[in-house]
Amino acid sequence: MRYQPVIGLEIHAELLTDSKVFCTCQNEFGGSENTRVCPRCSGLPGTLPLLNKGAVRLAAKAGFATDCTVNNYSAFDRKNYFYPDLPKAYQITQFESPICTDGHITVTGGKDIRINRIHIEEDAGKLIHDDYEGISMADYNRCGVPLIEIVTEPDFRTIEEVQDFVEQIALRLKYAGVCDAKMEQGSMRVDVNISIMPVGSSNFGTRAELKNLNSLKAIGRAIEYEIKRQSEILDNGGTVVQETRRYNDNHGDTKALRSKEEAHDYRYFPEPDIPPVLLSDEDIAEIKSSMPEMPQMRFKRYTQEYGLPFDDAKLIISSKEFSDFYDETVKINPDYKQISNLMLVELNRNLNDSEKTISDVTFSPVDLAELVKMSSDGIVSKNAAKDILKIMFTDGGKPHDIAKEHGFIMDNDTSGIEEIINKVLSENAESVASFKNGNQKIFGFLMGQVIRLAGNGANPKLAKDLLTEKLK
Amino acid sequence: MALKQLRAMLDRKEISAVELTQEYLDKIKSKDKTVNSYITVCPDSAIEEAKAAQTLIDSGSISALTGIPVSVKDNICTMGIKTTCASKMLEDFVPPYDAFVMEKLKLQNAVMLGKTNMDEFAMGGSSQTSYFGGVKNPYDVSRVSGGSSGGAAASVAADLCAAALGSDTGGSVRQPASFCGVTGLKPTYGTVSRWGLIAFASSLDQIGILAKSAEDTGYILNCIYGYDENDATSSKNSDGDYTSLVGDDISRLKIGVPKEFFGEGLNEEVKAAVLDAVEYYKKLGCEIVNVSLPSLEYAVSAYYLISSAEAASNLSRFDGIKYGFRSGLGEDFGELIKNSRREGFGNEVKRRIMLGNYALCSGYYDAYYKNATRIRTQLKSEYASIFEKCDVILTPTAPTTAYKIGEQENDPVKMYLADIYTVTVNIAGLPAISAPCGYDKNGMPIGMSLIGKAFDEKTIIALCDRFQRDFKGREAVI
Repeated sequence: MRYQPVIGLEIHAELLTDSKVFCTCQNEFGGSENTRVCPRCSGLPGTLPLLNKGAVRLAAKAGFATDCTVNNYSAFDRKNYFYPDLPKAYQITQFESPICTDGHITVTGGKDIRINRIHIEEDAGKLIHDDYEGISMADYNRCGVPLIEIVTEPDFRTIEEVQDFVEQIALRLKYAGVCDAKMEQGSMRVDVNISIMPVGSSNFGTRAELKNLNSLKAIGRAIEYEIKRQSEILDNGGTVVQETRRYNDNHGDTKALRSKEEAHDYRYFPEPDIPPVLLSDEDIAEIKSSMPEMPQMRFKRYTQEYGLPFDDAKLIISSKEFSDFYDETVKINPDYKQISNLMLVELNRNLNDSEKTISDVTFSPVDLAELVKMSSDGIVSKNAAKDILKIMFTDGGKPHDIAKEHGFIMDNDTSGIEEIINKVLSENAESVASFKNGNQKIFGFLMGQVIRLAGNGANPKLAKDLLTEKLK
Repeated sequence: MALKQLRAMLDRKEISAVELTQEYLDKIKSKDKTVNSYITVCPDSAIEEAKAAQTLIDSGSISALTGIPVSVKDNICTMGIKTTCASKMLEDFVPPYDAFVMEKLKLQNAVMLGKTNMDEFAMGGSSQTSYFGGVKNPYDVSRVSGGSSGGAAASVAADLCAAALGSDTGGSVRQPASFCGVTGLKPTYGTVSRWGLIAFASSLDQIGILAKSAEDTGYILNCIYGYDENDATSSKNSDGDYTSLVGDDISRLKIGVPKEFFGEGLNEEVKAAVLDAVEYYKKLGCEIVNVSLPSLEYAVSAYYLISSAEAASNLSRFDGIKYGFRSGLGEDFGELIKNSRREGFGNEVKRRIMLGNYALCSGYYDAYYKNATRIRTQLKSEYASIFEKCDVILTPTAPTTAYKIGEQENDPVKMYLADIYTVTVNIAGLPAISAPCGYDKNGMPIGMSLIGKAFDEKTIIALCDRFQRDFKGREAVI
């Protein structure tokens, strides 16, 4: 039988706050074990949570980034379960009243994926198992790191939709400054809920929840495997059981972690230590007004207003810093296409060669705008512009100064270039004869000789026109 | 001796802070073997603190509590000093930080004599569930002190401290105050920061004061109240100056007497003494108003559901992993946690944890926890309408006086029902003060309670003080 997958996502994203969500410990990645812990986040008796308002703000921003409603009232609850990486034996989360609800993102193919909710919660610590010594150790550095959980409706039907959504979420969270969305480091973690049903059916099957998916590729492979696994069960007359499954990237398969029967009863109830979060309409408007332009809006602007090709626009927006640099540059010099080309080809080449990122670039958008203008004004050639960019990138300096110093300013005086052409023609009589006998290829050689003698400042177009004229 | 007198003696150098502290330490040494009101006594640090206080007194830099020896309930975190909650689970737990109230006491250079005994994790009304043995009533050592702040109440009654800090979740300051013949104040929820108070039921817990008079509770509250950003439930509405109405004319106050508090189950001697107190105020010119709290009959159930649910969650952190008692048994996490909790907690604590978890289970949540919160809302609104008719409510503190050790502790339901007159105050977050208003035929103290409007501790303190000016109290026999 042919089956249709039905997929929903639960995405955890670590918030880019300076401190943890319920204490003042630093919120960072890595570092030695248990160096960022305090009585609060290690759950000492008598301590109380202190809500980080910055986390509330970022969660609200995540809501705006995904077209959610940001609620005036939200509240925290306790999710109770025992595990050694959870020092209080409960996680503070938002269960009944999440901060954001009812959002959506349009994915490839124009389909709307509904977002049910976004809520704030705290991360747990990590356990380190030493099988050799037969002991387990707890590292509480990650305890209390602020998270949001983004929960979608089961609206996905293809892997492409899922991957596009995840890519978009990651980019939007980065743009909004909510999360750095590094899946491989775990700062954004995607759980996939997937069931299958016969094509044409509208009755959802029993779902499995897939965990440990730390790349887009892993998400794709895990879903593929799961569709195959569930299809085989149904084809053989079996039934899919509701369970949590862990994806293994080495084998490309999923293994059962725990079934529904083994699932915890979390005994949720309102967190009595934290009063509800009340945001006035003014608070919400203020947070909204602080939102930067989202990538999808930039994409629209680049393609519709600036006339950039889709692929180029997508490449530019894929990094906020890169896109910011582009925007700053075209604000000064609205030569959209040339600036896009120079940045996507030449600047990226320099970045790749030196293994740097856009934030390492020392010249300013003003300099880049100037360089492109010099090129379009015919002050330097297009090729010279590439060379100047390289010098700006590696050694620094203003484009005009570099052009002057290295003799890139084009010489538009015809008499000078005519003299050089005459000299080249007289010194290369054989080649001239060969050209006149129909060897068109020799033109390039002659042109090369002219440019060589004329130096960086030669205006190639002028030289070419004159040479053609002389060879007639 | 009242704090005012102690203050005057210290300030006039009739006694030094060190001498005063030593006197208390000596009394603790001689009497507390019998009473068992302290779990930990801190002679060395107390003398050091007294010396520091005396230096300040000598230099004329004196705060209200400078050099005053107090005791602190053993569920309030004291940096560097064991804080056990009277449990095997925390037998050796030494907090690396001070509770907010401890910081406040230190700011005043009060002297901390030691940590007082209590029901394990503050769960109980007898102080007999302590891992370190029960507290005896200083009026009759064959009787219970009440609880859970039984050690605090007994330490005040036996004059083993000048005043004591306790905690009150469902009556744990007022009921032992009543049993031990001292004054106990539970402030409005949010008045005193809970930072460093080891949580029993977070939405009900409030640090309170046990002292020799209403005025004394006000003096102490003046020093420990206040907004604390470390406790998100602490309030900015408290205005301090809690003794400011003491001595004022109270005859214009209207006192509400809710009929449900004088019904079945109330001991006749207690009833008579409390009604005498009503009569006393009436004679002074106070208007007595008959009021009603119809939901009182559901209050104990609601209280035990809410408090046990919160306790089940709050006490989950005691898992043997990070601190506290760890069982030697168990091959994996699950077993280690289970065995540590099985061996580390006493029966009453386990009973509440089970009750609380049951109330929160999916499938039972609506019937139990959710319904309890509805009753909570209902009780609050009933109190609000009562306070439209009167300024203060007068009730008995407990249905009985202190009972014999071993008499009731094995009947949990009976014990729970005895909390009926105190729990509504916590559920509604109101302030209340309990003070002795008589003695039964065995000479055991009887307590009355004055319940105030939220953040109006001043009025109940002044009203209680007025009564105490004419009431002939008896000293404990110990």
